[in-house]
Amino acid sequence: MTTAKKVLASGISEQEAIARAQQGDAECFEALYGLHKRRVYSLCLRMTGNTAEAEDLTQEAFLQLYRKIATFRGESAFSTWLHRLSVNVVLMHLRKKGLPEVSLEETLEPQQEDGPRKDVGTRDNVLAGSIDRVNLQRAVESLPPGYRIIFILHDVEGYEHNEIAEMMGCSIGNSKSQLHKARMKLRDLLKQSKAEKAAGRR
Amino acid sequence: MTCAEFQKSLPYIIDGGGTEEEQGHLEACHVCSDLVADLRYIAECAKLLVPMEDPSPRVWTGIEKGLQQEDMAKPARRSS
Repeated sequence: MTTAKKVLASGISEQEAIARAQQGDAECFEALYGLHKRRVYSLCLRMTGNTAEAEDLTQEAFLQLYRKIATFRGESAFSTWLHRLSVNVVLMHLRKKGLPEVSLEETLEPQQEDGPRKDVGTRDNVLAGSIDRVNLQRAVESLPPGYRIIFILHDVEGYEHNEIAEMMGCSIGNSKSQLHKARMKLRDLLKQSKAEKAAGRR
Repeated sequence: MTCAEFQKSLPYIIDGGGTEEEQGHLEACHVCSDLVADLRYIAECAKLLVPMEDPSPRVWTGIEKGLQQEDMAKPARRSS
């Protein structure tokens, strides 16, 4: 039985585990790790696209949790607080790498979308009903880092634009604009994948 | 309103809002309405990407080592 399960099977609620971890209870801290590692790791993996980096960042996020857990006051859900902490760990790491995604005021790609979309074709070309998890995962992994981060923060993780703007140090308008570009790029990738699949069947 | 004008506003209205003119264009133009449908569908499908993977055991090993180092670096508590 994992430590997380043992702690919770003994009748200790997560809230109690947090309180005990704040007092230095190592087993309860490990239980919190067990409960939240998947979500933190998945976030890190999606934002970096790299397994080794994601593992290092997960480790760093939980070490930061250890340092800061005493400051958690319960004003938000613990998972929300930990999630936010994890996002900040990833963003700090990306800033240190000097990747362009942290300057969202700049265009990340040459402007290919200057003209309006005038998709020629029948209405069968719409995506509805054609996306599965695997294809979407692949498409997200193919996104440029800046687009990927915004898409993950907003559409996957559910942050609002004002929260993203605060985290990324950009304007709300910029966050919306970058999200739109991310979705447009995904649309192109998914349509391409759909067309390739259809061609493969012929 | 042209498609170019509508699509320029789209980032700011797709999740709600928009003028009557923009709404009118959306209702009348199948190209832009298909585009909006696709983008909303993609946003909705993002929910498919639920956390599915655990980190390898080495992550907890690294955390344990880090915690030990942090504890060693702390000043010893005086017993009351």
